[in-house]
Parts: sequence; C-alpha cells; structure tokens
Amino acid sequence: MKKRNNINQQRAGLSRREFLIRSGALGVAGVSLPALLAACGGGSSGGGNSLFFDNWPLYIDPSEDGAVGTVERFNAASGVEMTYTEAYNDNDEYFAKIQPLLGAGQRIEPDLIAPTFWMAGRLISLGWVDKLPLGQMSNLGNLEDNYVKPPWDPTGEFSLPWQAGTAGIAYNIDVTGREIKSTADLFDPAFKGKIGMLTEMRDTMGLILMSQGVDIATISSFDQAAASFDLLAKAKADGQIRAFTGNDYIDDLVSGNYAACVGWSGDVLQLGKDSPNIRFVVPEEGGTLWADVMVMPKGTENVDAVAKWLDFVYDPVEAAQITAYVQYFSPVKGVREEVAKIDPELAENPLVFPDTATASRLKSWANLSEDVDAQFADAFSGITGA
Amino acid sequence: MMLAKRADGFGLGAIAVASVCLVALGAGWFDGPLNALVVLVLVSVVLGVALIAAVGGPEARRLLAPYGLMKPGLLWMALFFLAPVWSLVRISLSTKESRFSVQYDFTWAFENYTRAFSDFGGQFQRAFLYSAIATVLTIAIGYPVAYVIAFRGGRFKNILLGLVVIPFFTSYLIRTIAWSTILADQGPIVSVLRTFGLVGVFEFLQIMENGKLLNTPAAVIGGLTYNFLPFMLLPIYVSLEKIDPNLVNAAMDLYSSPTEAFRKVVFPLSMPGVFAGTLLTFIPAAGDFVNAQFLGNPNTTMIGNSIQDQFLRQNNYPVASAMSTVLMVGITALVLIYTRFFGTEELA
Repeated sequence: MKKRNNINQQRAGLSRREFLIRSGALGVAGVSLPALLAACGGGSSGGGNSLFFDNWPLYIDPSEDGAVGTVERFNAASGVEMTYTEAYNDNDEYFAKIQPLLGAGQRIEPDLIAPTFWMAGRLISLGWVDKLPLGQMSNLGNLEDNYVKPPWDPTGEFSLPWQAGTAGIAYNIDVTGREIKSTADLFDPAFKGKIGMLTEMRDTMGLILMSQGVDIATISSFDQAAASFDLLAKAKADGQIRAFTGNDYIDDLVSGNYAACVGWSGDVLQLGKDSPNIRFVVPEEGGTLWADVMVMPKGTENVDAVAKWLDFVYDPVEAAQITAYVQYFSPVKGVREEVAKIDPELAENPLVFPDTATASRLKSWANLSEDVDAQFADAFSGITGA
Repeated sequence: MMLAKRADGFGLGAIAVASVCLVALGAGWFDGPLNALVVLVLVSVVLGVALIAAVGGPEARRLLAPYGLMKPGLLWMALFFLAPVWSLVRISLSTKESRFSVQYDFTWAFENYTRAFSDFGGQFQRAFLYSAIATVLTIAIGYPVAYVIAFRGGRFKNILLGLVVIPFFTSYLIRTIAWSTILADQGPIVSVLRTFGLVGVFEFLQIMENGKLLNTPAAVIGGLTYNFLPFMLLPIYVSLEKIDPNLVNAAMDLYSSPTEAFRKVVFPLSMPGVFAGTLLTFIPAAGDFVNAQFLGNPNTTMIGNSIQDQFLRQNNYPVASAMSTVLMVGITALVLIYTRFFGTEELA
C-alpha cells in the first residue's frame, strides 16, 4: 500500500512538471509565431504580363451593380493579368511585415504598394523601392502640379500618388445631438468615452497640433509638439478616448459607440450615401492633407505592367471612375470635368474637390527627420497604450 | 562486450549531444557551412545509437530502450522549446543597429528589461489582475455547472456537456467580436439596463463606465471569463465525475450534513480538476490580447497587447522579447507558488 502511494506521488510530481514545461511552451509559441509568419511572407510571382497591387481597403471602384471596376477594365484594355488585394491596413503594421524581407535584400510579393507619403519617404530613403518606369508613361503630364517632386520624394522618380485626402472629424449626429465644428469638441467632457482616434499618428496628432496653434507644415522638433502630446495623454487617462483604431473606426461610428472620431474624408463620404446621420467636417482649426502614393518595392520584375497600370489610372476618364466611387482627392488633372459628366453634384462637393475656403484649412506635414520621427512615434505609441 | 555494457551511457550522451545540436540549429548559433557540420554530428549520433542497438545484442537494446523512448519528446522540446527560448532571451538582451535594422547585436542590454518594467508595469499588473479575476469567476461559474452535470445530469450528461462545448466550435476571434456587438452602447444589454434604470447601479458597482458596458475593464474580464470557461469546467467535471457517490453516503452515515459532506469529501476530491483548470485558464488568459483589443479601451490594455504592438507595429524586438521573457518568468513563478500551496501531494 505504501509503495503504491509513492508511485502516485511521483506521478503527481511528473504531471506538475509537465504543466510547467507546457506553460513555458505556450509563452514561447505566442512569441515566435508572428516572427515565423513574417519570415514566410515572401515568395515569387511569375514575371511578364502579371501585376500584383496591394492597396488599402475600399480604395477602388469594384465591379458591382452592372458597372465594370477599374481592375477589370484595365485587364481588358491592357491584357495584363492583375491581382488586386486589400491587405494594406496600417502603415506601421505593413512596414513591420515587409521589413525583415526588404531589409535583408529579398523581394516581397506585390509589385506595387500604396504607403502613405511619409512611409513612402522612409522606404525611399532606406533604398527599399525601385524607380518607377515613368519614361514609359504617356499620361505623366496629368499629374497635378502640387505633387510634382513632393517633399517625400524630392526627385519625383520613386512615387506617384494614388489618392489624396484629408483627415478631419467624422461624427454621428444622432449621438452628438449637435453639429461638430472644431477639434476642441473631441475633448468635450459630454462625449467622455465616446471619442475615437486613429492609430495613424500624423492624422490624430495633426488635428490636435493645429488646434493648439502649431503649424504642422513647418514643425521640426518634438518640443513644439510636447504640449499636444500631453493633451492627448490626459484625455486618454481621463477615459475620454474609447479606442485608437485603424480603418475599422467606421463600424463604431455607425453603431453609435462613437459620438465623434478622427476620420478620413472619403471613407465618411462613401458612408454618408447610406447613413445620412454620419457627417464629416474639416475642423475650424484645420485638417491634415495627406497622400497615399504608389511605389515599387525593390526587385519588382513586372515593370512593364506597372507602367501600363500607372498610365491607365492617370487617364482622367479612368481616374474619374475611381474618384466617383472612393470620393478622395484625385491627383490627376482633368478628373473634375470627367466626374461632372458622371455625377455633377459630386463635382461640386468641396470635400472631394476642395474649394479655396476648404483648401486654406488643409495642411500637410513637414518631412520629419528620422530622429524626430522616432520621438513622435515613441511618444504616440506610449499614449495609445498598447 | 564493453560497448554493450556502456550502452546506457552512450544513450544519455547521444540524447544530450543531439539536443544541443538541435538548439544550435534552431537558435542559429552558427552560420552557413558550420551548420552542415552540426547536422552531420546530429545524424551520426543518431545513427551511432542505432548501430549500437543493432550490433550490441539484447542487453544493449534493453539499456538503450529508455533513452530511445525519451528521444522524440526531448528532441522536439529542444528544437521547439529550448531553441526559441534561447533566441528570445538573446534578443531581449540585444540592441538594434539602427531604427529600421533587422540585425540585432547581443550586448547584454539589460535596459530592455528596465524599459519593460518602467513603460509597461501597468500592463503587467492588469494582465495578472484581469486574468486572476477571470480565473476566480470561471471557478465560480464553472464549478456549480460541472457539479450539476456530474451528479444530477443523469442521461442528459452528454448533451449538457455538448452544450457547454458547442459555442467553442466557432472561432475565438468571432466569438469575441460578437460580444462587442452584444455589449455595444445601442446593443441589447445596455438598452435593457437603460429601460429598467439600472445603469446607475451598474456604474456604482463599477461594471459600467459613463453609461457604457463595452470598452470597460468589466467587458475585458467578462470576455476572458467567457472564453476560458470550458477550460475550467471540463477538468472540474472530470474530477467530479470520478467521485464515488458512496463516499458521500458514507459521510452522511457518519452524521455529516450535506454541506459538510461537500466540504470534506466532494470538494477536496475535486481539487485536481480545479488545479488543472486554474492553470489552463490563468496562463493563457494572462498573455491574451484579443479580449483587451476588442472589448477594452486604451486604459485596459494587457501585456499581450503591448507585446503584440512592440513586435508587429513598433518593430522593437528587443523590448518585446524582454517583455515576453518577463511574462514567462512571472507566470512560472506564480504557478510555482500556486503549486506549492494548492497542488497538494495527494493529487493523482
């Protein structure tokens, strides 16, 4: 009998040890899996007549309701076989995904991606993108003048804008009960716990900085922004902010979880078609002006197909189709006239084709030096709480 | 034969050498051609043992058998546990060459750990606090249910167990996101509470904040409790199921009240289930980031969220690794303490 007990004791000991080992294994599995996944992201697509464009979600007109989407029209017109995906959800996240590959000199699968201007600037300065085949384009002259040799791409050889837009305030008037006009309204205690902010640092901080009277077009040091970061940190600590999100702020806005949030113009305009209670405003203090630009990650093989695509979307007739659907600012000359033929009302919308009054309130960010950018990023991620 | 007599020594040595080889390969100790050498050593050691077993006769095989049986498990652990832990700890003590570099220099950078504590102390506390509360709640909810199923379930036992498990056939993520719809400000629960004027009561109990249920600490803890309930309920059920009802009858014959019978007989005998359930719930819950991500707010983030953010958005592998190491050590320490006090020796 006694002996049996001993055996039982030993077994108990063993199973406990097993548990400990397993608990450790769980921890490690959680840690190493993302790294493994990131490492498996590569691969190669065939050369020649194919094209892979990885873009942001809801950023092109799809084939629906009898209309033929831009991708299908392009495929039919050019004979290129294009793969169009919407896996670009967040600049930092995407960068973290491609960094191990591009940083190690390997190529990534997409032939074309559309990072926001500042991220494109980073990729260009790291030397992780190839020059675009601009020489093969006949529609290059349609590029709006203010995007020629922009600050993030001083030689203008590496990037072409896909769409531009503004970050302002989106709100659900059923929840706010009043019109929102100013960034200061986001800090109104009446909306405690019902305010959303974007994880996109330049948009969230851009609005706050402008409301504090800081000019984001000339900002060059972190000290100028410190007070605004404190304001955001305090609002977060007070429970004013419900969440920091990427593109998924839309759901919370529609469901009424948010009274108001920082949002992107085109998103909200698209939404407004079905939900008239969702509104968008460029705040009195100013909204940010940004552009998402197409770049070719280093080592792309399908350069000819990229040239055909760029030429296609810089044709104002084709670009107007995209604008009519996504309702962002188009970087292509002559789009307004083409949109007027499809949807005259849209051609007059100051949030799609900014009038001088709206344009005067829009500012774009200065090019931050890498050290300053790192300071901004650190301060911001410290607040977003993650 | 000398060889045959020393077979167990060879077996032990072979396992040790093979484990080290696998860790070296997995953790990337060497570059290029040296790796081929390591593979060569690994293969020759394994073949060597097989050779000894083949030519050494029954005596050698008898001595080698235990090591042979241990080998798959041990080598698996070497490659998939020891090697990753090695890499993790190494990166946690490294610094990046530059902000966007993918190279890490091992520099005994203990400041990563300082940063893990100073910048993410709150997240560590919340992770342990929320998962501890969730664990207690899963016991409070899971134990009575398991008890009823085990002792009063009768012929419906299997159906009842099935009902517990069926929701978990759906993806973890979907279930959690579903809660954000259910708890939403205009959702069913808050609407009912508002209709009955109970919002004030719930706010007093600190379950609601500002008239909202979603994006509060309560929602995060609730989500954890919901998601880990079966991991508590099933082990408790198994240990209750095994209890011989005659033991309870015997206690009653000895003038025990039902309460006393439960306290002195049933509950102690169900402890192994509670113990196993606690480990299965607390450990993954402490590292969870899904619930805090979808049901929490910026002030309820847990350490899992921070680790995810540092790894996948900030690209700060050294600090992220330091946080993971601290989490691992922290959980191990807590489990050891727990085992010391509750994991009694009569567990079998």
